[in-house]
Amino acid sequence: MDGESNRWAVAGRKAAAVGRIAFRHQLAYKTDFAMRGFFLLFILFVFIQLWSAAYEGDFSKSISGFTLKQIVWYLVFTEALTLAAPPLCSRIEEEVKNGDVAIRLIRPQSYAGYHFSVFASEALTRFIVHLAIGSAIAWPFVGPPAFGYGWLGLLALSAGALTVTFLLLMLVGLCAFWVEETSGLYFVLQKLQFTIGGMLLPIDLMPEWLQRVCAWLPFQAALYFPARMGVHFDAALLAKQLAIQIGWIVLLALAVSRMYRRGVSKLHVNGG
Amino acid sequence: MSTADKLMANARYVWTCWKVNLAAMEYRLSFLLLAGMMFVNNAIWLFFWSLFFGRFPVVQGWELHDVMLLWAVSTGGFGWAAMLFGNFPRIAGIVATGHLDVYLSQPRPVLLSVLVSRCSVTAAGDFLFGIAVYLMVGDTSPRGMLLFALGLLISGMLFIAVMVVAGCSAFWIGNAEGMTQQLFNSFIALTTYPSDIFRGFVKLALFSLVPAGFISYLPIGLLRDFDPLFAAGAVTAACGLTLAGALLFRRGLRRYASGNTIAMRS
Amino acid sequence: MLALQTRGLGKTFRVKRKEAGLSGSFRSLWKPNWETKEAVRGIDLTVREGETVAFLGPNGAGKSTTIKMLTGILHPSFGEAEVLGLTPWKERERLAYRIGAVFGQKSQLWYHLPPIDTFELISRIYELQRDEYVRRKDELIERFELGPYLHTPVRKLSLGERMRCEIAASFLHGPRLLFMDEPTIGLDAVVKQRIRELIRERNRVEGTTVFLTSHDAGDVETLCSRAVVIHHGGVLVDEPVERMKREVLSRKIVTLKLTEGADPAALPLIAGTRWETEEEGCRLAVDLKRTTIERVLGELIGRVGFTDVNVEDPPLEEIIKHIYGMKGEAD
Repeated sequence: MDGESNRWAVAGRKAAAVGRIAFRHQLAYKTDFAMRGFFLLFILFVFIQLWSAAYEGDFSKSISGFTLKQIVWYLVFTEALTLAAPPLCSRIEEEVKNGDVAIRLIRPQSYAGYHFSVFASEALTRFIVHLAIGSAIAWPFVGPPAFGYGWLGLLALSAGALTVTFLLLMLVGLCAFWVEETSGLYFVLQKLQFTIGGMLLPIDLMPEWLQRVCAWLPFQAALYFPARMGVHFDAALLAKQLAIQIGWIVLLALAVSRMYRRGVSKLHVNGG
Repeated sequence: MSTADKLMANARYVWTCWKVNLAAMEYRLSFLLLAGMMFVNNAIWLFFWSLFFGRFPVVQGWELHDVMLLWAVSTGGFGWAAMLFGNFPRIAGIVATGHLDVYLSQPRPVLLSVLVSRCSVTAAGDFLFGIAVYLMVGDTSPRGMLLFALGLLISGMLFIAVMVVAGCSAFWIGNAEGMTQQLFNSFIALTTYPSDIFRGFVKLALFSLVPAGFISYLPIGLLRDFDPLFAAGAVTAACGLTLAGALLFRRGLRRYASGNTIAMRS
Repeated sequence: MLALQTRGLGKTFRVKRKEAGLSGSFRSLWKPNWETKEAVRGIDLTVREGETVAFLGPNGAGKSTTIKMLTGILHPSFGEAEVLGLTPWKERERLAYRIGAVFGQKSQLWYHLPPIDTFELISRIYELQRDEYVRRKDELIERFELGPYLHTPVRKLSLGERMRCEIAASFLHGPRLLFMDEPTIGLDAVVKQRIRELIRERNRVEGTTVFLTSHDAGDVETLCSRAVVIHHGGVLVDEPVERMKREVLSRKIVTLKLTEGADPAALPLIAGTRWETEEEGCRLAVDLKRTTIERVLGELIGRVGFTDVNVEDPPLEEIIKHIYGMKGEAD
């Protein structure tokens, strides 16, 4: 028991060390940050115009429990989360193609653990930057994000949401151990998050039948949960959504570890 | 050689380029998949719009039907432009990295050579999507089809012209790739949202500074309630910008060439 | 004590055979046409601790694949291996603490950060004691003369500077066995020599076992005491480098650049040499068992007009081909 907890402590320290270096490394990509920032500002501006038109500029109207202000902030949160995820699938695919996977596997650290550290470090940095940029445009148009404990709910569910995103991306990325191209699968995943993940439209505004489908899939836990909790705090629901997230994380993590173990025994690295 | 002969020679040249591009594709499966993915991508956007209009049936006079036609005109126009003149979004990069030299050494109009020497296969997905959506929901009477063809022509020309003008900035400021890429993405995005959700200064900009409005108002002003004034404006904008792009490119080229000779002397 | 031992170690993999044309692509999408390829056919090898072994063979012979199996990166299809008492692919993480690896064309350094940051990370990943880490780091920095580059982002280092950092990084956790895949590829002669000396020194000082692949005869000659040549996925030759040198490295290539107007057809015959005329100059293959470079050059001077002369080892590829030739005769 003691050895077991010690093992986890060691793994945690290693993960933290990788996270720290990944944080500093990403700061070199300043134009990337600027470009994403510009895109975020632009797309949020368009969304604000679209939804203002849909609500006819009426700030008091509530549709399926969302006022104009809530919907705009909801979109700020989903966009900030979506753009936070680094391109994990293409990274793994590249590593397998050019053989850099060897550099990862020569270390006494788990492969998924390494990538999780890098992902978490980059995603959290980007998420915070995106929240700041998103706020800069949403605030003047629809007012401050005063949703009670909403911020708390958002942050509480965002960690789990990014973890679910990581695991989903990892599942697709690990396919590179078997097939050459993962971009097609990644495309499918992205589009699923896009629609039934609630990126463009809160799930509450979708038709009844689609809501029932969404409830059974992990995508809602990656975007919809934190963003909705951010504009609609509800302590009881928070506990329930946290539990659902943890459930998905356990399930997906098991799938990732199973898939990794099978994949790594099949792995063939170029350069004979 | 007379002007007519010259025109004929250029037309033959462009025709040959297209044939070569088509042959070079060899109908590779991965390309077909990419084109298919573009088709699905666009379809998913329309799915989003159907959900959106399920909640808000009419937004600023626009209905789902109009937005579908907007996507038909925008993706269809982009599709033919990127298939036949595939290099139009890349002019800034080609200028900045000195790749123009290859085209300058050929006895053909430089801008035309640049534009036709690439064919975007994924754009085939966009083009087919545009046509498919129009056949599904558009007016298929001869008059309707003719107007749609005009709409495709206007939107494709605008895509090309705007990116040529933007790309020419590389002649003067050098590394403009990142900036024009952003402009390109934003411009495309703007052409897929109803023009009437924007107001005031921004709407004005849509019909002047960033003329995406001439595309995103086509479903209303050209296809639904034919507005001669708007139609004339859109045609003028498309032709005018194309001409402006060509002239600007010619001026940039003079700068490019003289810049090179200076570099060679030093 | 054995550093590693393999018995019939091999790996096969399947490749999808592509068919031409559109219909072919579609067909292979539904019903892929798999083909089994043998990367490594079955290698038997024993390396004692402290040895320096060169692992040689032509491209595609399975050198890198073998190294990747021995480090636990790839799982073999058949056979057994034990590295420092562990089965690599079953106990990869445990083994990783005790071995190191340098892949000449891959970088373990973080591109935008100075090397010292990667060193720091390595100390955490390998759970080095703080004082032990500082001591080793300082020693390696001094020996590898890394001081000036330690705080420069890796992207601004030259290839030679970077490789010195890469190799120092691989020694940081004090591996008992170091695998190197083309460690000197792309480096100039001076840097190559310096890197060989440094690796040699580590082997002497710390007793690190070195197992390397290379295309460079110089690496093998100065660094290794034993050479293993594999071909078609199996071991072909396994002998001390000294003997290999006597038999195979006893050739030198003298390249002459003739003065203009000189007739390549009228070159003199010199005992123990053979002319191989090339377009740019003239190559003279010298057999050192029968003559010396000094004698050959002495004979050339005055009898041939040349503007430049270059004496070098034959490329390793040629040496290996020579070995195959020998084997072919023996069969």
